[in-house]
Amino acid sequence: MRGKTLLLCVLVSVTLPFLPLLLWSVADKWFYPALFPQAFGTRAWSYVFTTAGSQILDGLFTSFSLALMTTIVSLLLGVPAGRALGLYDFPGKKLTMLFLTLPIIVPPLSVSMGLHLWFIRLELAETFFGIVLIHLTFCLPYTIFVIRGVFSNYNPDFEAQARSLGAPPLTVIFRVMFPVILPGIIVAALFSFLLSWSQYLSTLIIGGGKMLTLPILLFSLIGSGDRPVAAAVSLVFILPAFLALLGSAHYLGRTGLKGIR
Amino acid sequence: MISFLKLTATISLFILFFCSQSFADEQKTLSWDEAVKTAKGQTVDWYMWGGSPAVNKYVNGFLAKNLREKYGITLRQVPVKDIAEVVSKLVVEKQAGKESGGNVDLMWINGENFRTCKSNNLLYGPFADVLPNIKYVDRTNPTVANDFGTPVENMESPWGSAQVVMIYDSARISRPPQSIPALIEWIHSNPGRFTYPAPPDFTGSVFIRHFFYHASGSVDKWQGKYTEEDLRQAADATYAQLLQLKPFLWQKGATYPESPVRMNTLFADGVIDFSFSYHQGEASRNILDGLFPESVRTYVFEEGTIGNTHFVTIPYNAKDKAAAIVVANYLLSPEAQLVKADPGMWGDFPVVNLDRLPKEWHQKFLELPRGKATLTDRELQAHQLPELPSKILIHLEKGWQKHVLKGR
Amino acid sequence: MSGPGRKASLHQLVYLLGPALTIILLLFGGGLLLGLFQALDVSSATGMKSITFDHFRTVFTDPDFAGSIALTLYISLTSTLLAASISIVLALAIAHWAANNRIVNFILQIPLTVPHLVIAISFLLLLSPGGIFSRFFSFFGMIPSPSAFPLLVNDDYGVSILVVYVWKEIPFITFMLLSVLKNLGPELSEVGATLNGSRLQRFRYITLPIIGPSLGAACLIVFAFTFGAFEVPYLLGKTYPVSLPVWAYKNYSDIDLLARPEGIAIGLIIAATITVSITLSQVLIQFARKRGVII
Repeated sequence: MRGKTLLLCVLVSVTLPFLPLLLWSVADKWFYPALFPQAFGTRAWSYVFTTAGSQILDGLFTSFSLALMTTIVSLLLGVPAGRALGLYDFPGKKLTMLFLTLPIIVPPLSVSMGLHLWFIRLELAETFFGIVLIHLTFCLPYTIFVIRGVFSNYNPDFEAQARSLGAPPLTVIFRVMFPVILPGIIVAALFSFLLSWSQYLSTLIIGGGKMLTLPILLFSLIGSGDRPVAAAVSLVFILPAFLALLGSAHYLGRTGLKGIR
Repeated sequence: MISFLKLTATISLFILFFCSQSFADEQKTLSWDEAVKTAKGQTVDWYMWGGSPAVNKYVNGFLAKNLREKYGITLRQVPVKDIAEVVSKLVVEKQAGKESGGNVDLMWINGENFRTCKSNNLLYGPFADVLPNIKYVDRTNPTVANDFGTPVENMESPWGSAQVVMIYDSARISRPPQSIPALIEWIHSNPGRFTYPAPPDFTGSVFIRHFFYHASGSVDKWQGKYTEEDLRQAADATYAQLLQLKPFLWQKGATYPESPVRMNTLFADGVIDFSFSYHQGEASRNILDGLFPESVRTYVFEEGTIGNTHFVTIPYNAKDKAAAIVVANYLLSPEAQLVKADPGMWGDFPVVNLDRLPKEWHQKFLELPRGKATLTDRELQAHQLPELPSKILIHLEKGWQKHVLKGR
Repeated sequence: MSGPGRKASLHQLVYLLGPALTIILLLFGGGLLLGLFQALDVSSATGMKSITFDHFRTVFTDPDFAGSIALTLYISLTSTLLAASISIVLALAIAHWAANNRIVNFILQIPLTVPHLVIAISFLLLLSPGGIFSRFFSFFGMIPSPSAFPLLVNDDYGVSILVVYVWKEIPFITFMLLSVLKNLGPELSEVGATLNGSRLQRFRYITLPIIGPSLGAACLIVFAFTFGAFEVPYLLGKTYPVSLPVWAYKNYSDIDLLARPEGIAIGLIIAATITVSITLSQVLIQFARKRGVII
């Protein structure tokens, strides 16, 4: 019974903010103090699908490929680093750990403002690659943070056994190590995907508006007093991450996405 | 630690390398024929304020389609929340020595941002005189020749005209205050029912300029010669008036809406009783979109309201200048101006002079439906005031922040 | 958690850590360093070295600085404390009654995927003077007009900013706590119960020390994030004073070139403030532990 009450409380507080988005996106006329829209319509959604359609698709594509690329690079660099930090003892380990995870607490704004001028000179500003680099400054540390935790409970003796049985290194990595750390990898990947996906300011500074990600598109539209349109675009923005969550829920089961903001 | 030092050294080398290269390349303006020839297949990245679905619809729908069909140009709108951000980006690019290959091909701009661009050599041009369609524009018109007191000198090309209109709901207020003194009186007797966006917001800034004209008792003086002392006195009088008004504003002036659209929302929700806009047709547009009630109307003050022209311009390092020129020209074509003026599309007022258009086009403009809340051209033109020079505008915006907002 | 440390050869370590370290050094370290150069006006381009603290001085002596940093600290501390307190209760409740409830877990994950920007917009639609709450009260005649609704957006206390952060960060902290509580099981608390401890005592001396490290880490991350975030205070904050990140970006994107180094300087001040306060909190905790205080 208490479990049910708890579920209800959680459900209501989580879903409450989506209510105005849903209602406003289909409102044609909704004047104060009406509790519900006086007229429903599809103006906002037709704006999203026709006029802004190509821009939003473009934004979805840019955001998605940026987040995907950042995630892949973060994993490629972060898994080895996380392994080193989680598994081995070496002099200067604490300092290395501190340095590699410091970017988690230092906001991207400070870093991107410093890099901007030099990114322009190196022709990295306003490029896909440049934004991946700037997103790496916070996605990579998070990845290392998660993967390190995975490896601190990892037993590498199985790898030695596999090797002694003659397995080549790649087989060891993919057949022995990978299955064990897979849940951790998924958590880290989601982490870094969502961080990149929702990043606004550093993308704006380095991308100069040219890299039209969804947050940048949304921010330019919030300037409009057009609440139905802003609500509809917001919903489009939530959907992909929500679907990713649904997909990953299957893998993660009850372990949850601990540690994602 | 050693690797760190090495890395810093490498970075510094990179920096030195890229700075020592000079990119002095003399700019020569393209002729119209050259521009059309080169433009085909180019993509124009047009950076503009993206907060209005109506504008976005016009640009991404009508303009993009026609430019592709007519000239083979791809138009890509890059919506930004404030064009000043783009100007500031160009300033950094100039500082970094990026002289070509810039991503901004066209900007929607005027006023202070134009002045900054012009005085920092951030613009390509002069180019407006090569546009064939510029013949439809009356360039002796002071708001077209001077942009907030800065001579345009063909460094930007006009796109539309704007004039401030007051917005009210006739169902709530039958006779709105017709002048600034009457408005001040109204605000005093209806505390909490009025506010304005905080300058440097564009619309908030123009609101305090109306007060400046009122407080200084003169309009023409500021277009010509005035002394620093004159300006100081008039500005102080303006702040004093606004400070007196502050306790009677919405939330007693403790906070201001950040933009005119936030003010529109407050107005639509009945929190405040007035809104105002730089766009003569915006209220009608909002009625059509169901954002304002049908009973909303607009008016101008007896002493007049400030009007200006908005322009497009091409940055010095734009990648696709030729296509940008062609786009600027197409924006001035009778059909593009007509569709833009349609309240069902955007409702922005034409910058072309109707008398200069071919007869059949002139007729089409006259037949254009007028939005419910939009005033007639005659009414608007009879009550038009010029903009203040950018220098005074900046002075007022900074002064407002210091004296009125922060109360120092 | 980590077992007996294993040794790795230097070669192996370079191979494993090298790429990540290079990226972080170059981009993160480099970014801060280059920012510092710009804020100090070191013009490496011309080869002339002149260091000036003028930009930092301008920021520190600005009469708005105190108000701005106070506001930023207030927002981040309050939202961290609120989110942490609610999260503790929520995590304990879930561990007790719904540890295996996949639905609760799933629902609680949803806020993690929603960008701050979107949630700021929805709370704007809910809490603004003409928002849905105001309509609700007005509809049932509890307030005469929208102006009678208390100002919750762009207000003195940053209510809507706090609400957005609390809504967003509770799941984050809760999951951090649950990951510890799950391994714990009910046994420890039962031991406490047999020892006749009161509920509060059991929480204070058994649960809190166990969740302490995770709670601390989560709080630090939330504090750092809310201190350095731009979007939410930009959208929902008051006209004046503004939070430090908003101030930094406003200066940075100013068309006046002179304001830019000031913007960068504020950015560095933000980074420094976060680092210093976190270090300070760690030192305090160490100190308290030595004194025998259980945290």
